[in-house]
Amino acid sequence: MRTLPLAVSAVTVTSALGAGIAAQVEALRERRGGLRCNDFTASPLDTWIGRVAGLEDVSVPEAGARLDSRNNRLAWLALRQDGFLDAVAEARARYGRERVALLVGTSTASIGATEEAYRALAATGTVPASLKDPVLHVAHSLGCFVQDVLGLEGVCTTVATACSSSAKVFAQAERVIRAGLADAAVVGGVDSLCGSVLFGFNSLELVAREPCRPFDVARSGISVGEAGGFALLERDGSGPWLLGSGESSDAHHMSSPHPEGLGARLALRDALATAGLEAADVGYINLHGTASARNDEVEASVVAGMFPASTQAGSTKGWTGHTLGAAGFLEASICLAALECDRAPGMLNTTALDAACGPQIRVDAAPMSRPFVLSNSFGFGGSNCVLAFGAERRP
Amino acid sequence: MSGPDAIACVDGVAFWSPRLPGWDTASPVLAGAVEAPAGAVRRPAPALLPPTERRRAPDAVALAIEVAARACESAAMPPAELASVFATTHGDLAITDYMCANLLDAPLHTSPTRFHNSVHNAAAGYWCIAVGCHAPYTTVSVAGYSFGAGLLEALTQVATSAKPVLFVAYDTEASGPLASLVSSSGLVGAALVLAPRRGGATVADLHWSVSREKPPRATGSSQRNANLVSGNAMASCLPLFEALALRRGGVTLPAGPSLALRLEIR
Amino acid sequence: MAAPQTLAEQALAELIVAAVNLQDVDPRAIDPEAPLFNEGLGLDSIDALELALEISKRYGVQLRADDAENHRVFASLRALSAFIESRRET
Repeated sequence: MRTLPLAVSAVTVTSALGAGIAAQVEALRERRGGLRCNDFTASPLDTWIGRVAGLEDVSVPEAGARLDSRNNRLAWLALRQDGFLDAVAEARARYGRERVALLVGTSTASIGATEEAYRALAATGTVPASLKDPVLHVAHSLGCFVQDVLGLEGVCTTVATACSSSAKVFAQAERVIRAGLADAAVVGGVDSLCGSVLFGFNSLELVAREPCRPFDVARSGISVGEAGGFALLERDGSGPWLLGSGESSDAHHMSSPHPEGLGARLALRDALATAGLEAADVGYINLHGTASARNDEVEASVVAGMFPASTQAGSTKGWTGHTLGAAGFLEASICLAALECDRAPGMLNTTALDAACGPQIRVDAAPMSRPFVLSNSFGFGGSNCVLAFGAERRP
Repeated sequence: MSGPDAIACVDGVAFWSPRLPGWDTASPVLAGAVEAPAGAVRRPAPALLPPTERRRAPDAVALAIEVAARACESAAMPPAELASVFATTHGDLAITDYMCANLLDAPLHTSPTRFHNSVHNAAAGYWCIAVGCHAPYTTVSVAGYSFGAGLLEALTQVATSAKPVLFVAYDTEASGPLASLVSSSGLVGAALVLAPRRGGATVADLHWSVSREKPPRATGSSQRNANLVSGNAMASCLPLFEALALRRGGVTLPAGPSLALRLEIR
Repeated sequence: MAAPQTLAEQALAELIVAAVNLQDVDPRAIDPEAPLFNEGLGLDSIDALELALEISKRYGVQLRADDAENHRVFASLRALSAFIESRRET
């Protein structure tokens, strides 16, 4: 079943590599990573993180002031780049406020604000007024904030499916538009650093003590990062194009992937089918590649079995860290940049590839063999999403 | 938003709250035919969870799985084949309380099990593991609009995929300092199996449309019914379930600050 | 019939049952020589992490998931108890 191709008429993303698309592209080209030694948590944790500089100094607009939080400041910083606010204003005027859907993904939302409220209560017995809005303490603090600052009044949801959240919103946008509930959609994802998540991953022994090295034989875990980004999807426009998507569930274990990558295979198969692509058409796959022992082993094996050597594949988490609920979006935007520059980015921090890797997984950047890309997001809870993008509307 | 109503068929219905632990109990009460039983059940014990997941499952997961399983049973639909939409305002509030409190006390001693359970999609993930479902799920959270917006996403999926979809909505009780920041009491779980066309198990048709309006608060038809779910963040599911108990009625659900999901049950 | 538990094993059995919420298991009924993981009590990798956490808190003994000796250390209640006793500070 083919899905409706959607033009990605505007896109912006901000990560540890910097604010805006150009910052990501330059850092990827110059092989300059954004990870740093953990300087975020109140108590020490030996790990590396992808931290966005300057968030402490961002001021959110009046319309979003009641939901001021690190996560929403990151959302606002991201929205202000690449002329994105102008693109939304035009879409709002062209289609009407209620005809532009807003679909965002997150895993942290503003839980950092809840943590802060707990600290304040423990220290002083009271919660400051700035932390009292109940919407601040739910997942939809992101969707609500973005809806308020963009002035959109149509279909709006926050998706919280861990690492697949902000990839799934692309697939959801296609359904909402195809069903006639909207004519365009703003999709996005924002996740920010917070103590409970960092120490949570630490309790699962999943965090590396060094910058993460995806698919490396000596990899030792993930580096958590933060990022925020948004895109405008429309039925018509100039490319690049969201051509298709595949979603599935592993149904195996909450924090380990299916050992044969069953869910990953299903999602990859459906992304290709809905986009009208064969595996050999794919020039680049941005892999989930978290540098955890299990994910990378399974994912490498799936890719080796499904794609020819001409499909270059790699994870960019060595540059940005694993941005969890924002990873789907961040990595989709890296794929879009790859299409634009006709250049698959390669991998950072990886020196010796794991034996499970086939010829597809490469460390060096290279021109792409074909103008079609896939982005993999395989989340906690077994939720998988693969997105297919192309330079042209039809393959 | 205008145009003809879209239609989805309700094949399976499930409901759980401590005073109304099951649709068989809830339906005649919500229809106004009988009084609610006097007692209350603390939490459901879904048989479907394998032993490892059952002992690990927090309240939110037990609740969601119970209603998901019952809805599939009443629809006579194999759960492994159904795509699903889970909707929750808060996820598991006790876990959120634990994560925030623990960060202050002993961050290096964070419980891996509880962190595991702290992701918003824990219930959906456990469900798919329990029933071996490889079809996709989503978990949406839309503050006070979670029921209406979640149902809208499920209805959209039925319309665009032409396949049945499982919709599960649930919220739990706030505890600890979190209870001073957000409010939700008790447990409420509700689920529907929605199908694109009528089948042997269909109990009602839902004619639905979306309209641009400031929607009314969704409250029950009577104070007595409202009291049975009152204070819970998912109480806005009540009007639809009252209409389903009566097998008729029109309901307007809030799906956003200026968005309403209009439903006609026939 | 299960072999009898030592006092240390009994205390550890209670810790295990509480840590991973084995609701229907009587700690005193755990055969000290039966497997803890996969068969026997049927614990998995997340349970191992939870146990390691509780053992660290109660006994001050550290266990890591990537320790090559783990399959021996965690093989049974008896093996785990012996390992803890050998490592704890008195």
